[in-house]
Amino acid sequence: MASDEKKTKKSSGAEGSSVPKLPNGDSIRLGKEADGLRKGALGVGIVALAGAVVLGGGPYGKQFQHSYLTAYMWGLSIAVGAVWWVTVQHLFGARWSIVVRRVGELLAQLVVVMAVLALPLLIPIFVGNDVLYPWAEHHYFEHHAYIASKAPWFSPAFFAGRMVFYFGFWVLLAKYFLGQSRRQDTTSGDVALTKKLQSISAPGMILFAVSVTFCAIDFLMTLDPVWFSTIFGVYYFATCVLTFNSTLALSLMWLQSRGHLKSSVTAEHYHDIGKMMFAFTCFWTYIGFSQFMLIWYANIPEETHWFNDRFFGSWLNATYFLSVAHFFIPFFGMMSRWMKRNTGRLRFWALYILAICWFDMYWLVAPNLHKDGVALTAADFLAWIGIAGILVSSALTRARDVNLVPTGDPRLTKSLAFENI
Amino acid sequence: MSTASTNPFNSPLRGDNAFARITDNVSRIMEAPRPPLAWYIAMAFALGLLTLFGASLGYVVWEGIGAWGHIHPVAWGFPIVNFVFWVGIGHAGTLISAILFLLRQNWRTAINRFAEAMTIFAVICAAVFPGVHIGRPWLPYWMFPIPNQMGMWPQFRSPLEWDIFAVGTYATVSLLFWYMGMIPDFATFRDRATGTVRRLVYGMLAMGWRGSSRQWHRYERAYLLLAALATPLVLSVHSVVSFDFATSQLPGWHTTIFPPYFVAGAIFGGFAMVVVLAVPARQFFGLKRIITIKHLELMAKVILGTGMLVGYAYAMEMFVAWYSGAMFEQFAFLNRAFGNFSWAYWTMIFCNVMAPQVFWFKAMRTNVWVIWVVGIIVNVGMWFERFVIICTSLTRDFLPANWGAFIPSPVDYATLAGSFGLFFTLFLLFCRYLPMVAMAEVKAFIPEGHAHPDDHGHSHGAHGHSH
Amino acid sequence: MSDPTTSPQEAAPLHGILAEYENPTALVLASRKVRDAGFSRWDTYTPFPIHGIDKAMGIKMTILPWIVMCAALIGLGTAVWLQWWTNAVNYPWIISGKPFWSWPANVPIWFELTVLFSAFAALAGMLVLNNLPQPSHPLDLKERFARASDDRFFLLIQASDPKFDEAEIRQLLAETTPVFIEDVAEDRVTSDKIPRALIYVGVLAAFASLVPFAFFAKARNATTETGRFQLVWDMDFSPAYKPQETNPLFEDKRATRQTPVGTVAQGELRADDHLYLGKTKAGTFVSAMPKGLTVDADMMALGKAQFGIYCAPCHGLLGDGNGMVHKRAETLGGGWVPPSNLHQEYIRQMPAGQLFDTITNGVRNMPSYAAQIEPEERWAIILYVRALQKSQGASVADLSEADRAQLK
Repeated sequence: MASDEKKTKKSSGAEGSSVPKLPNGDSIRLGKEADGLRKGALGVGIVALAGAVVLGGGPYGKQFQHSYLTAYMWGLSIAVGAVWWVTVQHLFGARWSIVVRRVGELLAQLVVVMAVLALPLLIPIFVGNDVLYPWAEHHYFEHHAYIASKAPWFSPAFFAGRMVFYFGFWVLLAKYFLGQSRRQDTTSGDVALTKKLQSISAPGMILFAVSVTFCAIDFLMTLDPVWFSTIFGVYYFATCVLTFNSTLALSLMWLQSRGHLKSSVTAEHYHDIGKMMFAFTCFWTYIGFSQFMLIWYANIPEETHWFNDRFFGSWLNATYFLSVAHFFIPFFGMMSRWMKRNTGRLRFWALYILAICWFDMYWLVAPNLHKDGVALTAADFLAWIGIAGILVSSALTRARDVNLVPTGDPRLTKSLAFENI
Repeated sequence: MSTASTNPFNSPLRGDNAFARITDNVSRIMEAPRPPLAWYIAMAFALGLLTLFGASLGYVVWEGIGAWGHIHPVAWGFPIVNFVFWVGIGHAGTLISAILFLLRQNWRTAINRFAEAMTIFAVICAAVFPGVHIGRPWLPYWMFPIPNQMGMWPQFRSPLEWDIFAVGTYATVSLLFWYMGMIPDFATFRDRATGTVRRLVYGMLAMGWRGSSRQWHRYERAYLLLAALATPLVLSVHSVVSFDFATSQLPGWHTTIFPPYFVAGAIFGGFAMVVVLAVPARQFFGLKRIITIKHLELMAKVILGTGMLVGYAYAMEMFVAWYSGAMFEQFAFLNRAFGNFSWAYWTMIFCNVMAPQVFWFKAMRTNVWVIWVVGIIVNVGMWFERFVIICTSLTRDFLPANWGAFIPSPVDYATLAGSFGLFFTLFLLFCRYLPMVAMAEVKAFIPEGHAHPDDHGHSHGAHGHSH
Repeated sequence: MSDPTTSPQEAAPLHGILAEYENPTALVLASRKVRDAGFSRWDTYTPFPIHGIDKAMGIKMTILPWIVMCAALIGLGTAVWLQWWTNAVNYPWIISGKPFWSWPANVPIWFELTVLFSAFAALAGMLVLNNLPQPSHPLDLKERFARASDDRFFLLIQASDPKFDEAEIRQLLAETTPVFIEDVAEDRVTSDKIPRALIYVGVLAAFASLVPFAFFAKARNATTETGRFQLVWDMDFSPAYKPQETNPLFEDKRATRQTPVGTVAQGELRADDHLYLGKTKAGTFVSAMPKGLTVDADMMALGKAQFGIYCAPCHGLLGDGNGMVHKRAETLGGGWVPPSNLHQEYIRQMPAGQLFDTITNGVRNMPSYAAQIEPEERWAIILYVRALQKSQGASVADLSEADRAQLK
């Protein structure tokens, strides 16, 4: 491809340093201008988390742990969704997304900070504190003999091993994809690297499926050690795709507002990202409804009690709210082309979806603590803000001085010219 | 190579460009005075099986469904296994037509027409079974909300009733989609037709289509809308079929992952069947330049991918059976692997999980006959998957006093084999008389089909069709 | 100017001018020119949809998606109404304890009907908006046009266009370098009458389509004396023998078989006369409870419960014969012998075994309750009856010290 040889032109700025640009003149480097936001976000994040700790009864306080878990799983879904998305783009050899893939790769690095942020949840488990997980208490299965057969699953060593596997695998995969892609930047369209990444993505996808399933089970499903659902991993996965795509859209919009990627990322790309948001809203609904309806229909008490907790008192209102807000509104709202091709309107939906996915996590976690009814507390919101702030800060840190577009990808030109149906 | 055709309008000889070659390649299958010998052999075989089908169904209607191996506790045996098997096969066609269309995978144009045909015929085969296995097959209209002399209505709270609507909608929408796709190709057949009968028949089917761009605009919108409708539909249909089992309380049946698991399995089995049909079809109908090895390789990858999804579902069921601590659930899965039908279970594991693994190797997934054999193996495996789910779980449920044996009767086997007869007969008729490849769609996506109005002097590049 | 040798087609007015192109690019460029020239009644004809021609021709987005959306809403409404009305209003019946209107169970069909109606609307809408079926068109008479469905691309400007000027159009089209330009005449040879046969078929089909509705109406409104038409006799008239029927296979010709003489079924050996008959071996009525039964509070509670179920309707909860059946019978009038008041002296004096015999075999109007009440339960009832009798005939001397103190 003749036109792909000179991917970037270096233009010398006033300072004398060269800032990489694309042939269409777009800036593709995030410089110092993001530092203010980065530090601010980190500050807000830390303060908010501290506030959540204080209002939540201390690091081992019940409210804090539940609020933190809600926010944590929300944040993790963005990072894990990014890992999935990058893997899938390589697996299918997708071309439309090449322009935006680097941003996805950068968002995937958030798994590193999420691994660290898991500690406030993991430490109580290892010291046997059952503030969040009943089974963390050492003698739990002696008092609950009817589920004692699953005790080996919860042995600290096995649990730790699994955590190491999940986060280790995600971190390795995220770093690998970013690293190889950046290496490709220094070449002029090395196809061998693209092929290598594609062949890695297939086994990577298999391990991803296993890791996201069991991570969701370990963190969320075991809040109620009796309950089980084979589709639970898929349910969480749907959230991952939704939050990631929303975050991707917002990140791209923010970058464009700061003068980067102005003509590279077009309405076509936003349209496709919006289509994923729409499609996975439907997918989430399908999975959520299947899980609910099958358990409702068979009416077996060892399964229905989980839904019972969410169907009485004010929790019923929360459940209705979740179904309307997570399905009906985005379904009708995001159906049309018109809604998805405009950044202002898509920004609304991206923020909306991020918010409603947080509420989905809340609906999964909080009935464990507030058995009598919905109780949204300040700790819930502060934990959420805290995680969000830290994620923003971490993403900006990682994005510093990295090409925002995989300039070395042999099919970049096709992606720049992509037009939707 | 153009065929010298005589038509009442004496039009000039066909052109020798890429479009004409495609038209010719596909149309001559219908226009040839006689189909290839392989078609006759296959048709003889198919008609034989179809006769067997008719005979065994007739026998069952006459004698009662005790002619099958049904016996307590396996009150649902081969017929439901066959039903789920055939409905599953149909799904690949819709996936290729609709979902790959939405994903802009233009390689689908070579195979989408006969994949959709396969869907229609598979759904017809599937629909026979609920109609026949209801014990009083002269009363199937009770399944529909038709006013009747008892003033009764169907029981809408039953998954079996949802099945009626789901499979009915699926058959209808697939038929509409398939027919609509063929309208421009019927127009091509009509314009090339020599005999009056052919001109009339294809002319009526084409509805007077002349390829006006204003009409194409609405046509394309309708196509997009139908594809967008068919995508969730196909997911819903096999999910509703899975609800037949998952809404029960039987261990091995009642598990929340059934809907996506069944859908993945359906796509898996369906693609295998597409491959089983595509390899001989391209060989004997001379379509190798249209259905290329690249297409087959992509299909092999899809088979591998969906096979892994099915494997994931097996693993999740196993894990949660252990994790749940529920004695009956745990027994159900141990029994599957080591109990009375363990041979069926391991056949399933071998066929579904192990056999597709050969597709990790490029040499394997670019070898036409390896692909074909693996396709057959996967079909066998998917039939066994339904058999394992249905019959094993029924023979060993909660109370040992309720355990039983299941021995399929010869009529069971005859009906199963015969259903293939119906499928292949319809398929072979389709190959002969209907446009086997979506000519208009293929033409739209070859390089010559793209307009480059702004290309004066620029090197080629941005015409925006991405994969 | 009618020349008698001119055929109707040769003298036909101009329908339009047709240009033929070899590739899509030429057609798109030509379309842009024609669009920019301001023509409105013109069209292009291609074997497949050309990407970009919509813009080149100025074709506006169709309203089809809105039609489909309306159909979807109608489909959804139909599905919701159908399942609600049939199962919750018109003929509700209990199925596995689920509510009559079980919305989770209705969702699948809501979805399916929405899709079904939408799909019909998409295809039908497309056909209607496209004016299909369109059996005839002047272009059908042009031989070269047959390649429009094969490998050539055409552009037609109709004579009815307000800006139509033959010379100008020929000039314009020539600039787009087509392969061929020709005139298209109106079609004066194809009849525009619908063939008779088709009309007959259509009318017949219209009437035939009413037949199913006629059947429905009949089914809902007519009654019949004769039985249903039987297609498969074995299903409706089962060959299996029914009780009381004759069965020629047996010597005694009975379908119902007796227990073989000299055998006792398991659990049917009623050896204990005291327990099962309330009599001694000699045949006199017993006065004590059978030895195997534990007389305790549980037995009393059982007796009370069973009394309330089986005896109280006639004898009343107090055992005074003033049960609901008696009250009802009295209002109906017409010769009714009241149920016995269990507190009468002769019943108080009756041995327990005789009470047992009464329950087992009935007496006067009272039927046998042997089928409904197990022997052990009958003894429990007798225990309770004794307690009732005591309660209605107690004296102060029967009370305990504490209770007596309370009376004071």
